[in-house]
Amino acid sequence: MPEFHPGNWVESAVDWLQVHFSVLFDFINKVLTGLYDGINAVLGGAEPLLFAAILAVIAFWLRGLLAAVATLIGFALIDSFGLWNEAMQTLSLVLAAAVITIAIAVPLGVWAARNKAFSTFMRPVLDVMQTMPAFVYLIPGVMFFSVGTTPGLLATIVFSMPPGVRMTELGIRQVDGELVEAAEAFGTSPKHTLTRVQFPLALPTIMAGINQVIMLALSMVVIAGMAGAPGLGESVYAAVTQVQVGLGVESGIGVVILAMYLDRMTGALNARVSPLGRRAAAKATAALGRMRFVRYRPGTAVALCGVVVLALVAGGMNLAGTGDSKTTASTDVGKGKKLNMGYIPWDEGIATSYLWKEMLEERGYKPDLKQLDAGPLYSGIAKGDVDFQTDAWLPTTHKQYWDKYHSKMEKLGDWYGPTSLELTVPSYVKGVKSLEDLKGQGKKFKGKIIGIESSAGEMKILKDKVLKDYGLEGEYKVVSSSTSSMLAELKRSIQKHEPVVVTLWSPHWAYNANDLTKLKDPKGSFGKGEKLYSVGRKGFSKDEPTVANWLKNFKMSEKQLTSLEDQIQGAGQGKEQDAVRKWLKDHPGFLDKFAPVPGGEKEKGKDAGKPVKMGYFPWDEAIATTYLWQNILEDRGYKPNVKQLDPGPLYTSMAQGQTDFQTDSWLPTTHEQYWKKYRSKLTDVGAWYGPTSLELSVPKSVKGIDSLADLKGKSDKFGGKITGIESSAGEMKVLKSVLKEYGLDKEYKVVSSSTSSMLSEVDRSVKQGKPVLATTWSPHWVYSKYPMKKLKDPKGAWGKGDKIHVTAKKDFGKDFPELNGWLKNFKMSEKDLGSLEAAIQKGGKGKEKQSVRKWMDKRPGLVDELAPVK
Amino acid sequence: MSRLRAEHLYKVFGRRSDQAVSRLEAGADRDELRAQGTTAAVIDASFEVEEGQIFVVMGLSGSGKSTLLRMLNGLLEPTSGRVLFDGDDVTALKPRELRAVRARKISMVFQHFALFPHRSVMENAGYGLEVQGVPREEREERATEALHLAGLKGWENSWPDELSGGMQQRVGLARALATDADLLLMDESFSALDPLIRRDMQDQLLELQKTLKKTIVFITHDLNEAMRLGDRIAVMKDGRIVQNGTAEDILVRPATDYVASFIQDVDRSRVLTAGSIMEDTKSDSAAMQSGGELEDASTVTAETPIAELFTPFSNSEDAMIVTDESGTPVGVIDRERLLSALAEEPQVNGIAEPNDTERGPDAAGVTARA
Repeated sequence: MPEFHPGNWVESAVDWLQVHFSVLFDFINKVLTGLYDGINAVLGGAEPLLFAAILAVIAFWLRGLLAAVATLIGFALIDSFGLWNEAMQTLSLVLAAAVITIAIAVPLGVWAARNKAFSTFMRPVLDVMQTMPAFVYLIPGVMFFSVGTTPGLLATIVFSMPPGVRMTELGIRQVDGELVEAAEAFGTSPKHTLTRVQFPLALPTIMAGINQVIMLALSMVVIAGMAGAPGLGESVYAAVTQVQVGLGVESGIGVVILAMYLDRMTGALNARVSPLGRRAAAKATAALGRMRFVRYRPGTAVALCGVVVLALVAGGMNLAGTGDSKTTASTDVGKGKKLNMGYIPWDEGIATSYLWKEMLEERGYKPDLKQLDAGPLYSGIAKGDVDFQTDAWLPTTHKQYWDKYHSKMEKLGDWYGPTSLELTVPSYVKGVKSLEDLKGQGKKFKGKIIGIESSAGEMKILKDKVLKDYGLEGEYKVVSSSTSSMLAELKRSIQKHEPVVVTLWSPHWAYNANDLTKLKDPKGSFGKGEKLYSVGRKGFSKDEPTVANWLKNFKMSEKQLTSLEDQIQGAGQGKEQDAVRKWLKDHPGFLDKFAPVPGGEKEKGKDAGKPVKMGYFPWDEAIATTYLWQNILEDRGYKPNVKQLDPGPLYTSMAQGQTDFQTDSWLPTTHEQYWKKYRSKLTDVGAWYGPTSLELSVPKSVKGIDSLADLKGKSDKFGGKITGIESSAGEMKVLKSVLKEYGLDKEYKVVSSSTSSMLSEVDRSVKQGKPVLATTWSPHWVYSKYPMKKLKDPKGAWGKGDKIHVTAKKDFGKDFPELNGWLKNFKMSEKDLGSLEAAIQKGGKGKEKQSVRKWMDKRPGLVDELAPVK
Repeated sequence: MSRLRAEHLYKVFGRRSDQAVSRLEAGADRDELRAQGTTAAVIDASFEVEEGQIFVVMGLSGSGKSTLLRMLNGLLEPTSGRVLFDGDDVTALKPRELRAVRARKISMVFQHFALFPHRSVMENAGYGLEVQGVPREEREERATEALHLAGLKGWENSWPDELSGGMQQRVGLARALATDADLLLMDESFSALDPLIRRDMQDQLLELQKTLKKTIVFITHDLNEAMRLGDRIAVMKDGRIVQNGTAEDILVRPATDYVASFIQDVDRSRVLTAGSIMEDTKSDSAAMQSGGELEDASTVTAETPIAELFTPFSNSEDAMIVTDESGTPVGVIDRERLLSALAEEPQVNGIAEPNDTERGPDAAGVTARA
C-alpha cells in the first residue's frame, strides 16, 4: 500500500495559516478572550455567597424553593473547597462558549430545517465536529491562539455545536405541517411563519438542544484545562497529573455541582421562556390543586428584583473591598505588571513556580500561574504567551523542546544542579544496588520497568541506551505510563512489599517519602546530570530586566528545595502559596536576596548633592557613556547636568571650568588639535576604551572573506563597491591608502555618502541576506545590532587606533575626588558599549536616559562596580 | 358574474409536470402517469362559484379534492390552468400580493382545526388580523365578535387544549370569520367531529350563512354532509370532477355509474324535495282538475324534503298540493308518487361525461336551491 498522510498537509497548512492569517487569529483571540474576560469580571467579581444567593434566586424562579436551597448549599460547598474562583472561571467559559455556540447553532439549525441541501451538507460536518477527538484541534488551536482561554473556548464551541444545530432543525421540522399551512393560509410571510409559529412551537426542542449544548460545553471546558483554559478543568488536570486525590475529588464535585445547576436550570428555562412550556407548567400547577404551593415560583419581575438587589449589594461590597493593596510603594517594583508563568506539574516545578509567584507578588507584580504539559508550555513560551518557567531540564530531558524552540526562548539562568536520572528499587529489594545487578533478575520484577510518559527524555535514554549497555533488552520491558501512575505503582508495590523497579530522577520527594535505592550506573549510560534552568520567552530579559536578573541569580540548594517541597506537600492541595509564604517566613532574607528591590538600598556617594556639569558631542559612544554616568551619578546622589555641544565648544568650556568632564576624547589622533590647544587647562582622567580601530566590515554570512587580503578578486560579490561615509571623514582618506596597500584600488570603488546612509545600507543588505562591504569603526553599535565581521588588517594599513579618554577641567580631581576615582577606573568592553549603544538606538531619540537605565537594570551590580562606595 | 372561477386546473406532482399535463390533455390516464412516478392529483378541473353559494367538493380520499382547494388560495401552485377570484388571476399573483389576498379575502378552516397551541383562544381567533397588522384593541374586539358568532362567548381567555373538538373547530371558524374574508375555504372541516356535533356545526354554518352570505368552498367525503350543505356539489374521482350539479341532480340524475353507486346509501327522503317529485299541474290537466277536487287538501312548499311528507300521508290518503314561495299551487303529490320516488333507482343520464367539462357547470341546467 502506498502511504498517504493528509496529516502532513494539515501540518503545513497550519504553518502557513500561522504566518499569513495572524491578524485574523489575533482578532478571534481578542473577541473570545474579551467575551470571556467580560463575563468572568461579572461572575468572579462578586462576593461568593452573595453570588450564590443570586444563583439561588434564579433557581427559585425557575424550579422553586427546594432547588434554591440546594443551589445555595451546593455553591457554598464549592466556596468552602476554596474553588470558588475556579468554578466561576469555568462558569464564565461555559457561558461564553454557549452564547457563541447558540448564536451560531440556532440560525444554522433553522437554515437546515428549511433547506434540504444544506441539511444534507451539515450532517457529516456535525458528525465530524462531534466525534473528532478534541485534542486534535486543541493542539493546532494552541498553535494559533497559544495556551489559555481561546483554544479551549474554540474547542468547546466546536464540540458543543452539533446538538444545538440538530435539535433546532428537528424542532422546526417537527412543527405540525397543518399549523404551518394555516399560518400560510392566513397570509403570513415566511419570516413571520418562522417567528410566530415555527420557532415558538419548536422552542421546547430547541431548549432541550441548548441544554445539551451547555452540558457538552461544561464537559469540554474541563478537558480544555489541558490547553491552559482556566477554571475547574485546570484544577482537575493538575490533580490528576500530580496524583492529588483530594483536590481531584473536590474539583470533581465542583464540576458536578455546576453541571447539575446548569442542567436543571436550562432544563427548566423552557417553562419560562416558551409559551408551550408556560402552558404546561400552568396546567401542572392547576392539577395539584391545594398542594400548588409546592410548585410556587416567584414571578419573573419579583425574581428580577431579587437578583438586582443582590447584585447591587455584591457590587457595593466589591467596591468597598478593593482598596487594600498588598505591597507598599517602596517594594512595588512591578507596579501591577502582569507576568505569565507556566509550570509542568513536577514537584520542583510546582515549588519554584509558587515560590516565584509569591515573591513576585511581594514585589508588586501580578503573576499568573498556569499548569501546562511540557509541549504546550514550551510552545507557549516560544509564542511569547508564557513569560517564563522555572523547571527546564537541560540538556537532556527537555532536549526536544529546546531544540525545537530555542531560537524563540532564552535561558535565564540555572538554579539547581546537577540532577540525575536513574532506575530505582525499594531498599527492601536485596541484592540490587546497581544497574548491572538487574541482569537475570527479570523474573523478580516480572520483566517490567515502570516508566513514565513515553515522551520523556529519560524514557528515550532508558530504552535506547541504558538497556542496551547493560544487556537488559529482552529481559525487561519498559512500560510507559505517566509519572503519576509510576508513583502510584511504586506506592502500591511498597505497600504490598513487592519488588519493583521504577524510572526516577533526583531531586524527587519520593526519596524523602520512601526508603529507596538508586541503582548505580557504573557505565554512565544515563549520561551526565542536568541542570534546572529558568527559561523565558525571547526578549523577556530585555522587557523585564529586573525579573530576569532575579531569575539569573536565583539558586536553590537541595536542602532548600526539598524543605520547600515538604512544606507544600504538607500544606495540601490548593494551598501551595500558603505553604510558600510560610516557608519564606522560615527563610528570612531569601526574598530580599533573590528579589532585591533595585535602587532600594542605593548608597549615596561622598559628594552627594553636588551638581556635576557634563558635556558631550553627538557621537554614539559619547551619548552612551554620558547618559550612563548621568544615571550612575543620580544613583549616587549627585546632581548631574548634561549638555550637548560640538567638540570645539566643549573643549573650550572645559578649559574655562564651565564643564566638569566629558567621556569621549579620542586621543592621541582625532582630538589632537583641541588637546594641544587646551592641554594646560585640562586633565586626562584616563582611557576607558581602546584601542579604537577603523575597518572595513562584511556581514558574517559572507563566507571566505575574513581579511582585507581576501577581498582581492571578489569585487563581483560586492558589485565592486565599498560603501563609505562622509568624504570629509579622516577614515575615508586612510581608506584610500589602505586599498592601495592591498592592491584593491582598481577593483573597488569607494562610494562616499554619510554615516547614516552607510548604516541603512548595512541594514538593508543584512535583512536581504546580500553581501555588503561597509566602512566602519570600533566601537560602534553596528556590531551588536547586525552580524557584521571586521576584516583583519594583517599589514596594519589602517594604522594604530586612538583610545577614548575621559577628560576633565583642571581642578576636577580636587573638586570631585570620589568621581575622579571612579572615572579613573572606568573601563568598558566593546561588547558592553555596543549593546549599550544598541539599546539607546532601540529606545529612540529623547529616551536615551531611560534606555540606559533599562540597560543598567539588566546589569545589577554595575553601579557598585563602576562607582563603589567605600 | 361568478365570484370564483376555476379554469382547467391541473396539479401534477413529480418530475416533468408540464409534460404530464400535455399528455393528460391528449387523453393519457392517471395510472399511466403514476407508472412513471408522477402523480396527477387534479386533472382539468373547472367550475364557478356564485356569490353567497356553498360549493361542495365531494370525493373519497385521494380524489384530489384537498389539492384542488389549496390551489384556490395559492397554497399550491396549479401546474396548469388558472383561478379567478373577483376577476383577478390568483395564480398570477406575486408572493407578496398573494399573501395580501390570503390575509384579507380568503380564509380557511382546517380538518384538524390547526389551532396554534401556544396562543389563547382569543389570540387564535385574532391571528389573521394580527397578520394584517390590525392594532391590538381592534383585533381583540373583532376576534371576540367572531367568537360570539361561532358560539364561543366566555371562552376567549381559554387555551385550545382546554376545549373539546367541536369547540376547537368553532375557534377555527371564528378565526376564519374574523378577517371578514369573502371566500371561506373549508377543508373537511367537520370530518373529525362526532356525528352529533358535526350536525350541530352544519346547522350553525347554515345559520351563519343566512346572515353572512359568504362564498364558501366546502370539501367533504361525506355525501350526506354534501347534500345538506351544498348549493352545488362537484363529485371528484381520480382527480377529475365527474359531476357538478345540485344535490337533486346528483341524486336523480347521476352522471356516471360511479356517482350512482356513491349515492346508493343516501337518505333520499332528506334530499329530494316535494317540488322535485310532484306531478306538474301545468302539464297534467287531469291533475288540475283533481286539484280542484282537493280544495281542502293540505299544502306543502316545493322546498320541503319528502321525509316530512310521510306523517301527513300516514294520516290521510289524499294527495297534497305543492305550492311555490308565493303560495301558488304548482303541483300535486299523491301516495303512489311519493313511494315510487323513493323506490326509483337513479338513472345515469349522461348529462356530464367525465371529460365533458366544456359545457360548464351550468349545463346541468338546474338552478340552485336557494
